[in-house]
Amino acid sequence: MIIRRLFAAGLLSAAVLLWAAPSFAGVDEGKKAFDANKCAGCHQVQGPAKEKTIKDQLAKKGPELWYSGSKFKSGFLEKWLASPQPIRPLAYNSVTDRNRGDHPKLSQKDASDVAAYLMSLKSPEVKPLGIAAVESPKGRIIFLKKQSCYGCHSMRVRGKMAGGLSGPSFIGATERLNPDWVYSYLKNPKAFKPVKMMPVYSGILNEAEMKELASYVGSLN
Amino acid sequence: MRVKWFSLSIITFAFVLSAGASTASGEAVEDLYRFHCAQCHGLKGMGDGPNATKEMPVSPRDHTSAVEMKKLTDADIINAITEGGPATSKSSLMPPYGKTLSKAEISSLKDYLRKLCNCKGK
Repeated sequence: MIIRRLFAAGLLSAAVLLWAAPSFAGVDEGKKAFDANKCAGCHQVQGPAKEKTIKDQLAKKGPELWYSGSKFKSGFLEKWLASPQPIRPLAYNSVTDRNRGDHPKLSQKDASDVAAYLMSLKSPEVKPLGIAAVESPKGRIIFLKKQSCYGCHSMRVRGKMAGGLSGPSFIGATERLNPDWVYSYLKNPKAFKPVKMMPVYSGILNEAEMKELASYVGSLN
Repeated sequence: MRVKWFSLSIITFAFVLSAGASTASGEAVEDLYRFHCAQCHGLKGMGDGPNATKEMPVSPRDHTSAVEMKKLTDADIINAITEGGPATSKSSLMPPYGKTLSKAEISSLKDYLRKLCNCKGK
């Protein structure tokens, strides 16, 4: 009886290992593909953030990725890396140049591996609060009326893009952003990006409002 | 010797004053403007930044317009930057920078706006 149980437990462990192994391989291979594609030339993967001045921020060629696993939703990066579409209407750090949409496109295998690697990079700042993506009336009022977030972040209105161009677009945000990260970014933005064009809203919006807004942003499609 | 030290202090003081374009944070006010304000107000302050899109309900203020800018007191400008547009009965499209910039930086931006419009407040 004991032998049979041990055998069953062994089989179960082997199955778990086999199931889990590809994801570990993806992370390691993803790191190799990330290096081989020279992604670090534009994207930081080492946290925490070190920028202190505007000059430090302007020296960055692309968004920092050291908290990707906390920021992005599962599945988004793999799809995006295989078929990149501009998220920012303007070129990174520019207020004059359009985003030319020339981000390198990775093969499906590299996209899958690099996504696995990037999703393994997490920030302890982002707690799993389980904020649901909901197009709540309260979040909508903050976004459209109280703080006019659309002034910098474009969104889809009746099928068309509307809003400002300087911030990342929220068209498709529901597939891209983890609402828990949006909340953490609103609450303690300097932990992620110490010098940034977006104003600090912590101390302006209260806790409940930041959660409502995170939930609303996470629902935008 | 004492005279020499005195002269040196005067020179240092004059240098600090002449570096008025730099704020306590060390950022030049022009850089603060280009980084934070230009996204709506444009690099030259003419209200033509990339966020001034056609569908916006209001246009960003043209900071080079003396006619418009002289309607505002210095306190109005500081309030609008610190608390956002609604603090001066204007649009919330002007966001609050009170938790982003220091008081010294906001004050230096007010001076910079006065330079751009070449005007004084009412």
